[in-house]
Amino acid sequence: MIEARDISVAIGGKRIVSHVDFAAIPGEVSAIVGPNGSGKTTLLKALTGELAYTGTVTLNGRDLASMKPMEAATLRAVLPQATALSFPFTVREIVRLGLIGGRSGVLPGEDARLPERALARVDLDGFAGRFYQELSGGEQQRVQLARVLCQVWAPVLEGRPRYLFLDEPVSSLDVKHQLIIMNIARDFARRGGGVVAILHDLNLTAMYADRIFVLSRGRLAAAGAPMDVLNDELIENVFDCRLKVGALPAGSVPFVLPQSAA
Amino acid sequence: MFQQSIAGAAGRVVAAEGDRSARARAVIALLCLALTLSVFLSLTSGASDASAVRVIRDWVTGAVPADAALAARDQLIVYDIRMPRVLLGVLIGAALAVSGAVMQGLFRNPLADPGLIGISAGSSLGAVAVIVLGATWLAPVTLAFGTLALPLAAFFGGLVVTLLLYAVATRQGRTSVATMLLAGIAISALAMALTGVLIFMADDRQLRDLTFWQLGSLAGSTWPKVGTVGPVIILALAAMPFLSRGLNALALGEATASHLGIPVQRLKYIAIVGVSAAVGASVAVSGGIGFVGIVVPHVLRLAIGPDNRYLLPASALLGASLLLLADAVARTIVAPAELPIGIVTAIAGAPFFLWILLRKRGIVDL
Repeated sequence: MIEARDISVAIGGKRIVSHVDFAAIPGEVSAIVGPNGSGKTTLLKALTGELAYTGTVTLNGRDLASMKPMEAATLRAVLPQATALSFPFTVREIVRLGLIGGRSGVLPGEDARLPERALARVDLDGFAGRFYQELSGGEQQRVQLARVLCQVWAPVLEGRPRYLFLDEPVSSLDVKHQLIIMNIARDFARRGGGVVAILHDLNLTAMYADRIFVLSRGRLAAAGAPMDVLNDELIENVFDCRLKVGALPAGSVPFVLPQSAA
Repeated sequence: MFQQSIAGAAGRVVAAEGDRSARARAVIALLCLALTLSVFLSLTSGASDASAVRVIRDWVTGAVPADAALAARDQLIVYDIRMPRVLLGVLIGAALAVSGAVMQGLFRNPLADPGLIGISAGSSLGAVAVIVLGATWLAPVTLAFGTLALPLAAFFGGLVVTLLLYAVATRQGRTSVATMLLAGIAISALAMALTGVLIFMADDRQLRDLTFWQLGSLAGSTWPKVGTVGPVIILALAAMPFLSRGLNALALGEATASHLGIPVQRLKYIAIVGVSAAVGASVAVSGGIGFVGIVVPHVLRLAIGPDNRYLLPASALLGASLLLLADAVARTIVAPAELPIGIVTAIAGAPFFLWILLRKRGIVDL
């Protein structure tokens, strides 16, 4: 599992994350939610070793700080919010970069076709020959997810669980692809891996997350199962919105929830 | 060879869509051929009518030439003048082109070039200092190293700039590429200003020397120079293939490259040291030869894509071939005099560069 104790992060002298405890268990989707500027991405960057932090982070019991980049890359893959590219790579060339470490976990020889399989998985069949820079934001995000999936294709490698870190994986996706991507995340967890995702949509979070960590001004405001965490009081305190959990809109206003997916 | 290929509908093996590695390998094979031809052309052409073919044939067959004096002269021209020049041309062309490609990958900027971050300016300052002050303040240096004083000074000039840049841009073990670029521009300006002071102090003969040197030339290539800078350039070039996977990952940004398992800080360190060694050594013997580092990687990216596993070797081959051809033009177009090679590469390279900017304007503006 991923365990983080007493994590604090300061950027430019300003403390963004304060004394947060966090744990992600293999087999579960752990969601990090919170308002803009509450420190979600900063926490994720600490958990992946991208930002300097105080406290300890362990991956499967090993201290992250003492791991070489390649060791960490074998255990987890990270999807950033957005990725700008400096050179005209094709979609296939980008996805193939996920195989750099050579620890996808498929049988030897199957690596060669993995980019096509990963692209099909994120509903980008036939996009392999396109230029990445010419795709829409949502398509680019799914290309990056295909790359990330290639890196840790097998959720469990040599008996050890592996992890996906997803920073707002569905932020620029239409509703169909939001569901496809969240299903990929849940499937990864069901097969023994762990998923840590920053999400904004509380309905998607309630539907897919096994565990929710709520951040507010850099501190952990609540943590637990969606049933226990998502209540009127928390929404008002953390998001500064007086909303009722589970209330249906009045009369003729239509509403569409991901939970209604057949 | 067809690792990245999948079986096509007709049962034959075709490259997967979006996979340009087969084309890249074909282009590299062509470039090998082009370099062989360029070497042959350079050995056989020049201001004199010496026949490289005859010299090599006599050497291979052991035949005794009919006109011994003529044969001895030809042998001298081919062995002692053209061969070291061709060797240096190959090494320097490869070094400049590969350095350009590596810098562009490192800075994630298609317009980066060793000249941009001040390495060339630092080398230039070292060389000009020896030309202008060689008889006075720097007399001990010129006495101690003789004709090698100038290339050594150029090399150390480049090295000092690199170390300074690295010190300025590194905080807590992380090198900021953006800071390095900005600091490079500042250091470059400073080195050029100091060079300007030296030019101001120079007399007429020195001015002519340093103008010629600043324009770049492979004239004066000798075996001792090959022996001095050859190993440096070869070592630096030999390190570059190990960078290619890391540079590919770096195209996605430093954080993502690290998440993919690339030791990013070590990658930056090796790339910076390798480039400054290769460029310092090149500028040391040939002066400032512009545009090879920009033009060659760009042409190749259009042809085979930006995958550094193919881009770096292809850049080495094309850079070497182009520099040999430019040198052949420089040697013969105003024979028996010689044009500085920097003029040839700039005349051919600058308009091409502008064309790239025009062509890419649409993409840059996105």
